[in-house]
Amino acid sequence: MLKRGIAGLVLIVALWGGGVFLFNVPDYLLPSPAAVMARMAFLYENANLLGHVYVTVMEIFWGFLLGFLAGILAALLFARFPVSERMSTPLILLLQTAPKIAIAPLLLLWLGLGPAPKIVLVAIVTFFPVMTGMLSGLRFVNKSYLDLARVLKLSPLQRFLHIELPSALPTLFAGATVATTLAMTAAVIGELMGANEGVGYLLSSGQENADTATVIGMVLLLSLMGWSFYELFEALRRRMEARFAEG
Amino acid sequence: MITTSGLTKSFDLEGGSILALAPLDHRIEKGSFVSIVGPSGCGKSTFLRLIAGLEDASGGTVKLDTGSAKRPVGFVFQDAVLLPWKTVRDNIRFPLDTAGVRRDEGNRIVGELIDLVGLTGFEDALPKQLSGGMRQRAAIARALSDDPPILLMDEPFSAVDLLTRETLNDELLRIWQRTGKTILLVTHSVEEAAYLGSEVMVMSPRPGRLKKTYTVDLPHPRGEATKLDPAYHQLVAELRQDMRETE
Ligand SMILES: Nc1ncnc2c1ncn2[C@@H]1O[C@H](COP(=O)(O)OP(=O)(O)O)[C@@H](O)[C@H]1O
Ligand SMILES: [Mg+2]
Repeated sequence: MLKRGIAGLVLIVALWGGGVFLFNVPDYLLPSPAAVMARMAFLYENANLLGHVYVTVMEIFWGFLLGFLAGILAALLFARFPVSERMSTPLILLLQTAPKIAIAPLLLLWLGLGPAPKIVLVAIVTFFPVMTGMLSGLRFVNKSYLDLARVLKLSPLQRFLHIELPSALPTLFAGATVATTLAMTAAVIGELMGANEGVGYLLSSGQENADTATVIGMVLLLSLMGWSFYELFEALRRRMEARFAEG
Repeated sequence: MITTSGLTKSFDLEGGSILALAPLDHRIEKGSFVSIVGPSGCGKSTFLRLIAGLEDASGGTVKLDTGSAKRPVGFVFQDAVLLPWKTVRDNIRFPLDTAGVRRDEGNRIVGELIDLVGLTGFEDALPKQLSGGMRQRAAIARALSDDPPILLMDEPFSAVDLLTRETLNDELLRIWQRTGKTILLVTHSVEEAAYLGSEVMVMSPRPGRLKKTYTVDLPHPRGEATKLDPAYHQLVAELRQDMRETE
């Protein structure tokens, strides 16, 4: 699987490099892989590339953490008090259906050009899949387990800790895995809209300077970051599935 | 003692309702071992679930005089219902842990029960690593662990191989004689019903109701000699005849 993936990547890079060389494509259209690498090395040495990566990673980290915790808390609240779900549904749907691109300028107006609006945007997009994953897990607990809880006269807390929470873990982490890609996108949108640091900022300044190599380099870097983030949660999800799902 | 008066249960289905249990008046003395037989759909499970409080009666009452017992009944479900994220040991000690029994006391009880049901060596296995029969044995051990005064068993041995089944039958009789529990056991085997019971309830379907009860006078302790007793064969023959009539 991994070997084939690497072979595929090598092939694409070879085609890219070969094509640029054969057809003599100008740099401002499509720079060669070597030119992109050189540009990345330059940014690494002279423009604190790692510092920008760190900024973006931290925005995603804090935003994701916030959205994750808020999603879990909301699901607990909604499962316990269904009326609270009905009351907050309009607000949640509004936030969820509004294009994130449209929310971003508002957050920038309110929270400035620093990491704060990006963190909030990431939290907003993370919230929804995590909340629905947790809530559906809590709602569809195997009925037989609830019978067991009843025979054992478990307290609500015991029932939650021993039965409902473990039952919800697979769908919670399925939701979180979906949220990783959304979170990545949200952070970059925030940075593209207005920032003075972060990978998205480097990307948009590359665009302003018609620096195609930087733009391509940043796109590749973001894909790599998003992919690792996704794989991390996919691995967690698989572990949860193996341990906590039926069967 | 378990007393039911006019106990009845109907389930609402689309376009009507089904009478799962016609009004049932019955009295089960404390310390009896009641075998329940009858074709599928005659309300055996419903009867046990009503006694356990897992279903609300549509009419009539069930009274359990189990004094101050916090958990009056233990239930062995038809399909084991082990929690998939807990090991065999943790499943068996679940009733103890949630009742606040001391850890060392719990370990002692669980150790004995694991020996009793023949799961030595599988303490740390997860339920999905066990065969159906082993899962049911773990479920039986779990139901015994907190020593409830009433034990309800819904076809507990259906997935257990014949030899183990006979061993477990004898163990169950020993436990019953030692502890004076009231046991209700649903089975498809008329031989098992006769061998184990101090009373046999024969139920019949459409609507589910109690057709007949037998008091079993076969002497205790029961064993290989019981299976040679003409009175035992007589009872088995009568039960078989009843079952044919209920078809
Ligand atoms: N939750 C339920 N909803 C609807 N019908 C049910 C439900 N549980 C049992 N029944 C019906 O009640 C009748 C008795 O079922 P049950 O007690 O499971 O029988 P048995 O255990 O003797 O096979 C059956 O006709 C069954 O279909
Ligand atoms: Mg049944």
